[in-house]
Amino acid sequence: MLARPGLPEFDYIKAESSQQVFKLLAEKGSDLKLMMGGTDLFVQIRDKGEGPGILLDIKDLPGMQEITFDKKKGLKVGAAVSLNNLFRHPDSVKYYQVLCEAANTVGNYQLRNRATLGGNICNASPSADMAPAALVLEGEVSLSGPDGERVLTLEQFWVGPGKTALKEYEFLTAVHFPNPPSGAVGRYLKLGRSKMGDLAIVGVAVLGYPDSEVPAGIRFRIGINSTAPTAYRVPRVEELLAQSPLNDELLRQASEEAMKISAPIEDVRATALYQKKMVNNLTFKGLKEVWSQLINS
Amino acid sequence: MKVPESGVVGQSVRRTDAIDKVTGCAVFVDDIPFGPNLLHSRLVRSPHPHALIKSIDTKKAEQLQGVRAVVTGKDISARLGLYLIDRPIFASERVRYFGEPVAGVIATTEDIAVEAVKLVEIEYEVLPAVYDPVESAQPDAPLLHPDLGSYTVANFIFPEPGTNISENFKIRKGDVETCWSDCEVVAEEKFRLPPIEHVPLETHTSIALSEKSGQVTLWASSQSPFAMRDMIAQSLGIPHNQLRVIAPLVGGGFGGKAGVTMEACAVVMAQAVEGRPVKLRLTREEEFVGTSVRQSLVSEIKVGCDKDGTLLGMELTYYFGGGAYNDYGVNIARAAGYSCTGPYDVPNVKADSLCVYTNHPVGSAMRGFGMPEIHWGLEQIMDQLAEKIGMDPVEFRLKNCVRTDDEIVSGMKMTPIDLEACIEKVSRAIEWEKEEKPTAPNKKRGKGIAIMWKAPAMPPNPGSAAVVRFNEDATVNVEVGGQELGQGAFTVAAQIAAEILGVTYESVTVSYPLDTKYSPYEWQTVASRLTWSMGNAVKAAAEDARTQILETVADHWDEEIDDLTIKDGVVISFKSEKEQPLDKMVIYGLPNEDFEGWKGGPVVGRGHFMPTYVTNLDPETGQGTRAVVHYTVGAQAVDLEVDLETGQLEVLNIASVYDVGRAINPDLIMTQIEGGAVHGMSSAYEELKFNKSGEVLNPSFVDYRIATIADIPRKIHGDYVETPIDDGPWGARGVGEHVMVQTAPAIANALYDAVGIRFSDLPLSADKIYLALEEKTNQGK
Amino acid sequence: MVTHTISLIINGTEEQLQVPSNMTLLHALRDKLGFTGTKNGCEAGECGACTVLVDGEPMNSCLVLAVELDGREITTVEGLAEDGKLTPLQQAFADLNAVQCGYCTPGMLMSATALLKRNPHPSQVDIQGALIGNLCRCTGYQRIIDAVLKASRNGGER
Repeated sequence: MLARPGLPEFDYIKAESSQQVFKLLAEKGSDLKLMMGGTDLFVQIRDKGEGPGILLDIKDLPGMQEITFDKKKGLKVGAAVSLNNLFRHPDSVKYYQVLCEAANTVGNYQLRNRATLGGNICNASPSADMAPAALVLEGEVSLSGPDGERVLTLEQFWVGPGKTALKEYEFLTAVHFPNPPSGAVGRYLKLGRSKMGDLAIVGVAVLGYPDSEVPAGIRFRIGINSTAPTAYRVPRVEELLAQSPLNDELLRQASEEAMKISAPIEDVRATALYQKKMVNNLTFKGLKEVWSQLINS
Repeated sequence: MKVPESGVVGQSVRRTDAIDKVTGCAVFVDDIPFGPNLLHSRLVRSPHPHALIKSIDTKKAEQLQGVRAVVTGKDISARLGLYLIDRPIFASERVRYFGEPVAGVIATTEDIAVEAVKLVEIEYEVLPAVYDPVESAQPDAPLLHPDLGSYTVANFIFPEPGTNISENFKIRKGDVETCWSDCEVVAEEKFRLPPIEHVPLETHTSIALSEKSGQVTLWASSQSPFAMRDMIAQSLGIPHNQLRVIAPLVGGGFGGKAGVTMEACAVVMAQAVEGRPVKLRLTREEEFVGTSVRQSLVSEIKVGCDKDGTLLGMELTYYFGGGAYNDYGVNIARAAGYSCTGPYDVPNVKADSLCVYTNHPVGSAMRGFGMPEIHWGLEQIMDQLAEKIGMDPVEFRLKNCVRTDDEIVSGMKMTPIDLEACIEKVSRAIEWEKEEKPTAPNKKRGKGIAIMWKAPAMPPNPGSAAVVRFNEDATVNVEVGGQELGQGAFTVAAQIAAEILGVTYESVTVSYPLDTKYSPYEWQTVASRLTWSMGNAVKAAAEDARTQILETVADHWDEEIDDLTIKDGVVISFKSEKEQPLDKMVIYGLPNEDFEGWKGGPVVGRGHFMPTYVTNLDPETGQGTRAVVHYTVGAQAVDLEVDLETGQLEVLNIASVYDVGRAINPDLIMTQIEGGAVHGMSSAYEELKFNKSGEVLNPSFVDYRIATIADIPRKIHGDYVETPIDDGPWGARGVGEHVMVQTAPAIANALYDAVGIRFSDLPLSADKIYLALEEKTNQGK
Repeated sequence: MVTHTISLIINGTEEQLQVPSNMTLLHALRDKLGFTGTKNGCEAGECGACTVLVDGEPMNSCLVLAVELDGREITTVEGLAEDGKLTPLQQAFADLNAVQCGYCTPGMLMSATALLKRNPHPSQVDIQGALIGNLCRCTGYQRIIDAVLKASRNGGER
């Protein structure tokens, strides 16, 4: 009924190797859950009052906490990189501003020392703060299994609220972000119930970059959370914006279109109507700010 | 006897408990170490808001290894209460709110207790529930307390058996019916607010130990250990001197720890496992669901004034949603009744203040005790009336606010206050006349004002006692029963003692934890009464000690007491300039000449205070000579902005001024003003949300949001005025609750100024504001 | 349930203890080792009353397993003052009456101590950002901000 005091009983195992992880995943099935920062997992099992028999801690496996940047390949963020470490890393700061901006809005400083990008993505909350930014940066996830690695786009990875395409024999090792297009500028606008902290009632990430091949001269990518079963891009809106010279009226039309696409549900945090209106307002604001930054640079 | 002026009293000395708290040494009840024999308990809680309990099967739970006992309501018929004894310790026949304790399991570890809870099997027959107090007051509403007529009730509370109405306080003053025809304008409105929570950072925690000798000890996070002892002792038939309540520092109370919530459960569980201490600690979720709440309120108010803007009449009904048990709630409805007009001079009043049972958590004391609830509507309708008569809100209040010696709504004469000064100060601080430009093009800005009053809502005879004890080295221990919740009670007690005794503030320690076995009696730490009442008792005890010292020294020097004083721990004679340090003599006395005998001995001063002048009120008219001891008043003005793109409010400035009688510690008053302003602001957007099945939807910080460090106003202009009362220490009275009473309506009034929309229902969420703004724009089209 | 033998270096001193897998650092500190300065406010990472420093970084000890921190350095509020001398931050909290009930104070001090270490001259907004995860119901926060500002002028967290 209500969350229990402390955590339910489980056995903690610290993973020593990927092989061990695969072995245990195969042996234990749903009686085992993988953990990294634990900030979502612990709260969830406390709420439920029961958890898996085994928590397998994979955050110290090789590479899980590494961030590497390559001018050709882009940014590779180990699944267990904490949000604070992501936010502070010089390469993320330099090239992936919108990702850092989003990371810095999650929860609070203490949580960000534990919460991980990989965990945020695997938790697949419809209102995940990292999701819109990750989408506009066209992130991909590396999933490691006993037979090797596979890569999925985020759209392929998130299948529903709290549900991913992760198979029961594999785990997320890294998130890749390709090099953003040259001259790209991005913003993450988050509406919470307080000025800082809080979940996203609505969060919109906008990435814009110069592209002489479209009539608008600028291409936008827009990612939105909290208003659908998963976070989502809005290709129809992005197309609309690319096809004509940019002006406020077009931005308004585009925002309204995004609002029409959004499908929020009424919940304890906000009415569906308000959420829809905020998609409109935040999208417009994000577009304006990014556009204005691009013009001025 | 001459008493020194302006020593420690009136100084902003540092808190006595500051060092303990910044070093982590401060002990709260969950910090107290118990040995390996400590047992852990958990409560089994009702999943239904209203149901009959058909059966409870505890066998499986009892058989779980590590479970020592399971306790249910069928073992105890006793009920709890101060004013209306209506609440079972564990529900036995019926549950009346989601989360009500139905059973308790005691085990060797908390993990086992958690598992045992799942094994208790309870069969319920769900009954229709009612949540809205107006609905619940109707004759056809589901009846929550069919036995209301049989409950013991204080002689100033009037429940209506056969209904859900647990109290109906009436004011019939003057002639409201005819006054409407004299009114130039009338305003009429209905206001609503939902239940909200105290949200102390420290959740309710208690440990109980029942020994075979019959001695019961209860450690609890409690504002009122004596009231706790009294209620539980009476309820369970334990002699008072066999029930000991120990109350360490409290990590936030706000009224939620004023009485008994879950502590009686701990005692009953301890009695089931005699000889072993049992700990009961609420999780944050349980704190939201299973402790008490501030009552919901629906207020229907009609008010009118003449062509000059002078208030003529008020007619109102307050429907307080008292929750499942209305013990404290009935007194809140009563207090709201005898102060129902707000701080205004209104000659004709017809008011009904009802407390109504609803299937919500127990409605109880929360900072303000009915005043924030009623001022939400009152301060808005006054603005509405002022607008109708074409007067500025500040001007309207200056004209109509209550003044010293005015006959107020209950018929008593207003005690000394200067509300006009408070209004003038806030309006200057907020620059009321000046129209401020919004800080951005997408924002609108506005200012609002609200005033308040509150009297301590107490029975007529609440007492305080204090003891002042010297140690050999002339340091002093002050013993009180009043609790330190963070408001600075211990600091004020130390200051008062130091001032009267003539010793340094640093040499005075207030003994804690409070312990009913040793501490002198204190009715309760509520009602913002300690500075006044406990302060008087400490002052009297210090004067008693001082007299003992001066008598001994005067005798020793063969001088007159009036020629002696004490300064910095030394007795000095004005006449002979002789000096006698206090140390050692305050225990050992002074030797006669040639050591032919001794005089004096251990100095122990005692004092008490109890008001003697509060009278009854007529049950039909609410009129009486002296309803309350005194009022404290204040004004707040708010300067805020609304973000038109999101509906979010940002409070830019709050001006907040209160009449405190006398500032014993000016900076501590400012800390109350600042903390209260933020708490009051937070209360404008807090809400305990329920679904249709009476379940709490937001029992955590994630979705029950309180003000964070980023939400605070840019500036709080705090100040106070001093209009002494005749029976407070140096004229002082309390202010701890008053500072958050009217912030919400001040915000609503500022919001109206900014965007022209009146919000008569709390909470003021961004969601609600944005959609209302849109609707207004659409209507304009 | 598995029990682990671990060592935690608490305020510079190594402590050996046995913890079940599911015991959070909060409970290990409070119930196993008696460091009751760190408080339990919500067990959900929201209120910050349980904030401690792990290798100098603030974390909610309610959401960290004790077993995860084997061999790591942990600083609690009890470890701030040295030889009875308060840090400038603790002194500022006491001097400015940034403390009322005192329950949020240990967590606030830990978060603010770490802030001053990484940003010796924070602005009001910096402080608000760093302390957003520390809730206070009593003070209204401004004094806490002022205390951090004062400490930053008086030489930082130590």
